[in-house]
Amino acid sequence: MFWSDLVAKLPTEPSVWIAALGLFGVAFFLGYFWQDQSTRTRWQVKQEMLKNQQIIELEKVNQNLAAKNRELYAKELELTIANKHLQALEAAKSKFIAVTTHQLRTPLSAVKWTLDLAAKGQLGKVDEEQKSFLNKGLISVNRVIAIVNELLRVDSVETDQVVYCFQPVNFIKLFDEVLFEFEVQAKSKGVKLSVRRPETDLPPIDLDETKIKMVMENLFDNAIKYTPVGGLVEVVVSDKRLNRAEGAIEVTVRDSGIGIPSEEKNNIFQKFFRATNAIKAEPDGSGLGLFIAHDIVTRHNGSMWFEPAAGGGTIFTFTLPIHQKTL
Amino acid sequence: MDKKKILIVEDDEFLRSLNAKKLESEGYAVSVSPDGTSAIELIPEELPDLVFLDLLLPGGKDGFDVLTAIKADEKTKNIPVVVFSNLGQAEDIKKAKDLGAIDFLIKANFTLDDVVTKIKEILK
Repeated sequence: MFWSDLVAKLPTEPSVWIAALGLFGVAFFLGYFWQDQSTRTRWQVKQEMLKNQQIIELEKVNQNLAAKNRELYAKELELTIANKHLQALEAAKSKFIAVTTHQLRTPLSAVKWTLDLAAKGQLGKVDEEQKSFLNKGLISVNRVIAIVNELLRVDSVETDQVVYCFQPVNFIKLFDEVLFEFEVQAKSKGVKLSVRRPETDLPPIDLDETKIKMVMENLFDNAIKYTPVGGLVEVVVSDKRLNRAEGAIEVTVRDSGIGIPSEEKNNIFQKFFRATNAIKAEPDGSGLGLFIAHDIVTRHNGSMWFEPAAGGGTIFTFTLPIHQKTL
Repeated sequence: MDKKKILIVEDDEFLRSLNAKKLESEGYAVSVSPDGTSAIELIPEELPDLVFLDLLLPGGKDGFDVLTAIKADEKTKNIPVVVFSNLGQAEDIKKAKDLGAIDFLIKANFTLDDVVTKIKEILK
């Protein structure tokens, strides 16, 4: 057969086999070595290229970072400058308000006192008609004074944001001090002012005196302002919440005024908001009073709300906790 | 009975004369000082029963200085001082009260009748 013929022709000499095997081994080794060398070079080149690419990319990123850094630094500078500007502006504004209001108040006091003395006949006899003119002048000057006061209040609320000075205060004494100013105002407008205080003494209440004064001033002023001549303003200081878990006092101011339209009731404590009927009744308000009052009571951890009074008018209520936790 | 003596420290000439006129008509003996320095000299001499003190005053001494001087002198420290100014920022009020002012009235918010009511309250 073909296969057996071939086998039969193979050399039988062992040396030939050994030589052949040796040759094969050398060829294999050389082949392997050459192959390995070339793959390794190719791999190295590839790695090199990859590295280069990475370096380029890194450099790009680096450049970007440096640019971003410069931008940040510039922004920081800008912000610092802007902040300085703002602080300077704020200080200038406060100073401007303090100085102008003082400069405005002095001549306003003079006009007010003169008109008041004249209207009361203390500068000589005046007839009814003259008196009514003088009183109208007095109302106008009081309106300007109220606007100046309001400007000052807004400023002190915004600049003293953190400065609340809580101290234990005799609330009824403070209340009476504020009331004293408004008894005159109510009387001269012809509005009856009825006051009820608790029968027993109140404990000292932790509060910021000047700020709570503003709250009461605002509520009393509104109540008298929006109550028609011959109407009634009822102010009640109550101790009914004193013995609750979070002991508090409650102040209620009830006017027999124009009321608050129900569709506008959600906006009442917003800055610059004025109810449409309030604008009609009193075109000059700033819409800041209740915003400030509400803000102050909230910062005392108290609440302020209002409800329509039976028979017309509005009842404003605020509560003040006896103790401030931060003390 | 002797008339009660009231000293008005006020730099505005018109406000001063209105206030003085009103208080005189109410039966008080009124003296006036147009600045802080003269007030500091006058108070220990006159020993008024009450001082109405403006805060912004011309010359070197302002109302706070006058108040400090009154309270530092044994002879005058018990004289009630009502600050009567058109300043009225919280810090002014606090400073005046800390220095010993019995009350702080903002001129523009009061009429002279209110002032008289206040005086009667203090001097009763």
